[in-house]
Amino acid sequence: MDEIVPVEETAKKAPEIGFLGNAESLEVNPSGSSPLEMVGVCKTFEEGRQALTEVSVRIEKGKFVYLLGPNGAGKTTLFKLLYAAERPTLGELRVNGYEVHRLKRRQVPFLRRSLGIVFQDLKLIPRWTVFENVAFALQVLGREKKEIVRKASQGLQQVGLEGKGHFPPSQLSAGEQQRAAIARAIVNEPALLLADEPTGNIDLRAAEEIVRLFEEINSRGTTILFATHDEGLPAFLPKDRIVLEQGRIVESTLTAAAAAKLGFAG
Amino acid sequence: MGFFFRQARQNLSQNLGINVLTLGTITFAFLICGLFVTVAHNARALMEEWGGRIRITAYLVETVTAEGADRLRDQIGGLEEVQAVNFRSKEEALKTLEGKLSARTGLLKGLPRNPLPASLEIQLKPPFRDKAGVDRLAAKLKGIAEISDLQYGAEWIERFSAFILLLQILGAGGSALLLLATFLIVANTIRLNIFSRREEIEILRAVGATSLFIRAPFYLEGFFQGLVGAGLAWGLLFVLFQFFLIQVYDPLKVLFGNFSLEFLPWEYSAGFILGGVLLGVLGTRVSVGRYAKV
Repeated sequence: MDEIVPVEETAKKAPEIGFLGNAESLEVNPSGSSPLEMVGVCKTFEEGRQALTEVSVRIEKGKFVYLLGPNGAGKTTLFKLLYAAERPTLGELRVNGYEVHRLKRRQVPFLRRSLGIVFQDLKLIPRWTVFENVAFALQVLGREKKEIVRKASQGLQQVGLEGKGHFPPSQLSAGEQQRAAIARAIVNEPALLLADEPTGNIDLRAAEEIVRLFEEINSRGTTILFATHDEGLPAFLPKDRIVLEQGRIVESTLTAAAAAKLGFAG
Repeated sequence: MGFFFRQARQNLSQNLGINVLTLGTITFAFLICGLFVTVAHNARALMEEWGGRIRITAYLVETVTAEGADRLRDQIGGLEEVQAVNFRSKEEALKTLEGKLSARTGLLKGLPRNPLPASLEIQLKPPFRDKAGVDRLAAKLKGIAEISDLQYGAEWIERFSAFILLLQILGAGGSALLLLATFLIVANTIRLNIFSRREEIEILRAVGATSLFIRAPFYLEGFFQGLVGAGLAWGLLFVLFQFFLIQVYDPLKVLFGNFSLEFLPWEYSAGFILGGVLLGVLGTRVSVGRYAKV
């Protein structure tokens, strides 16, 4: 992968085409170096269920952080808040310089372009080839065809899927499908990569390979938030961790300075 | 733009079943609309032809000279309701009567003089070919001293006007209902198509596609489905018209005064195709909203 491009520049790369939108008119606040900052974030769903309570966290640029917690702890809800699929009920939320808690709907695509997201259920389009699945994340940005082909091939190579681009996802193993989803998430060179249970449906050996792959991506400067309920992974590859339980942070290894600044006492 | 075309083409071919269903629905709905419009168009043309037969005969007083009749014809011809005026002299009237009596022309020979009056046959312009129009013109003609009598079959005109009005109301109401039904069916079929691809839309949203980017291929698909659907319906309608309507109508032709059926004029055909495109695009517009929001 090429060097990490600061988010302001990533946003400016989007050309002024109606279909793609014009990112330059958006209010991006690139203050500070942390790609993710949450202050007192609460999320209560319409039916009254409280999914997140007073979540405050700050992740510095280049970090690899596990988001640990059992199923139903609020990991997926937290992710949805980060890419604005849900809005916080209370609190402030900054991602890659975007004030997500008050982001206008038309600005949401630009926030998402600054992120890489690996979904729990992968979300690969079955009727497309693996290459097409990866390439279309670049097509959305309106990149030149040549660049799309080059970067998509590079992305596939990076995750070890060279030579498999012409297969439909269904012909790949579960681990390979996971890699294809990762390739799609990193092909835009995001500043922050969100991975929701990326090892959930694969065996231990494949899971360890996936974690290694994330470590490699992280070593190139991409900040990673890696959600998992598997306590074994941090043991395999020790990194910073945040533990969520019933929607609250109950443990965090993030620096005391960052925690103190946010008023976090965990 | 090439991306959207490629996407639309790929979607059309890869979701063949549901797209064939959408296309079939548009074609069928337009075929029914087209049949209705063809029948309505021909009924109206028939009525117009019959309407052309509405005329007023103004009988002139004996003392009118040939020059006077000419002047009168010009005067009446200048009235706004009037399309054409034909003068029929006393001699012509007699000749016509002789023609009608044929074998019994001898009856007329015994007459000391021609008892038939000269007359003006007045044809009305299309907007005035109803009872109100005829009454209005008749009122004006009654004020002219050289005219002794008027003849215009008031009762027949009244019925004819009522029939035309009924036809217009039924035509407009029927077309509106049919169009609404067509629109709802097509919009729902398109919605079904979009619904079947909601996961794909979700993925597009997740990687930062704008609403317009997500919608564009659907609009293109709607456009092509409307275009092809209406085009197919037009073709089928043409075939049906040539091989069925005309065959069925031919034996009945004499009942309708040898009126010849006409296929949709080109303006209607163009409107038909344009309607298909509009329907495809509008159907997409109402269906895509819920799923393509960011």
